[in-house]
Amino acid sequence: MLFVKELKVISDGKELLEKGAFVDTAAEEQFSTLLKSYEKLYRSEKRLVRLSDRNQEKLNSLAKSLDKKNTMLEGLSVKLSKYLSPQIYNSIFTGEQDVSLTTKRKKLTVFFSDLKNFTKTTEELQPEDLTGILNNYFSEMSTIALAHGATIDKFIGDAMMIFFGDPESKGVKEDASACVRMAVEMQRRMEDLQQSWRDSGMENPWEMRIGINTGYCNVGNFGSVDRMDYTIIGGEVNLSARLEGKSDPGGILMSYETYALVKDLITAEEQKPMTVKGIAREIRPFAVTNIYENLDDERRFIRRETEAMQLAVDLDKLTGEQRTKAIYELEGVLERMKGEA
Amino acid sequence: MENIKIEATTRSPEIDFDFGANKFLIKGESYPEDVATFYGLVIDQLEEHLSSLDTAEVSFEIELIYFNSSSAKVLMGLFDTLDEVAKAGNRVTITWTYDEGDDHMQETGEEFSEDLEHAQFRLKILET
Repeated sequence: MLFVKELKVISDGKELLEKGAFVDTAAEEQFSTLLKSYEKLYRSEKRLVRLSDRNQEKLNSLAKSLDKKNTMLEGLSVKLSKYLSPQIYNSIFTGEQDVSLTTKRKKLTVFFSDLKNFTKTTEELQPEDLTGILNNYFSEMSTIALAHGATIDKFIGDAMMIFFGDPESKGVKEDASACVRMAVEMQRRMEDLQQSWRDSGMENPWEMRIGINTGYCNVGNFGSVDRMDYTIIGGEVNLSARLEGKSDPGGILMSYETYALVKDLITAEEQKPMTVKGIAREIRPFAVTNIYENLDDERRFIRRETEAMQLAVDLDKLTGEQRTKAIYELEGVLERMKGEA
Repeated sequence: MENIKIEATTRSPEIDFDFGANKFLIKGESYPEDVATFYGLVIDQLEEHLSSLDTAEVSFEIELIYFNSSSAKVLMGLFDTLDEVAKAGNRVTITWTYDEGDDHMQETGEEFSEDLEHAQFRLKILET
């Protein structure tokens, strides 16, 4: 079909030779040679076309399998990304970060937290319930951390290790401020969570202790060439953990180094000085008492409690008809209160 | 004639022409940017050498994973030359080596050998 014309030329040529249509023998020989060359050319063309088609087919199937592999790798990288802090994941995938055992010294603000009553709860709750509550707690805290630009280093049991200043930094002062803002928001969110835990029957709701310190740390890949962790080490990291241990439940305890950077943002009470192994200087801890910025505006769970009033509103759940009904109820109460005043 | 040894690249094959032993090898992938430049001189030298042979034993090995249409044209010309050399009284063996399971390369080798009348052609499976 594809080479019908060529085959017709060949068959006509052969017929001519067979018929002895040539008067001139030299012309007949020349024609015969020409015909053979044409036949060869026809065969070459046929082979080349077939080869080209096969190559195309092979390339297409390779492209398809490559597409399939790419889709699989994309899915895999999304799954793997959950095991890494987004900033670190991005810096590795964009090629900014080398996956090799290298570290650098950087001034970071380091955050440590753990939960009071956690061990007690592990004895009281079924492991499945505990896992659910713990994962819910970590999800809530991670959302807040990421919103403030934190690098979540790791979760260790009920503890969290977070830092600011690497791989992205907005400057030492701004990194420290972001960390403290995050800590305050976390403690406020904890109040909401405690309420819901209490409502769901948890006898001793967890309370969060937070320690924050700013100082030079070694940051980078630690471990072996086969298995490494992007993390931070150093005396200043240990100090954050020690501050966390000394913090009141529901409190935020920071070192003077952090306090000096964020004192325009918060009010804090100085605590008794302490010494920490590996740190030569005496540590002056500061407990956060208030924050000047009104983070309440951003909160989605509003809770007000006085002796004569209890108010709890979850703005995320309050939608549609529920919202209209709530406004109606509240306005009714307001009218009545104003009337009695 | 001085032997020719060219290392393979991602786009061009290894060339190993031992004129003294009459052993010749083309191995790898063949889709050079300019086929005429890559093969031109080596094929000229090869043809010059082959035309001088008389009752010689010639072994030509082709072990390609992939080649484009231009390279195919060069190979078909080479097969013609080798067949003529065999016709002239030399014992020419062409070995077409392909990866086990590579039907594409097997079929291509078989098709290329269809026009050979004097040279010996053998297919060889490269076991992996």
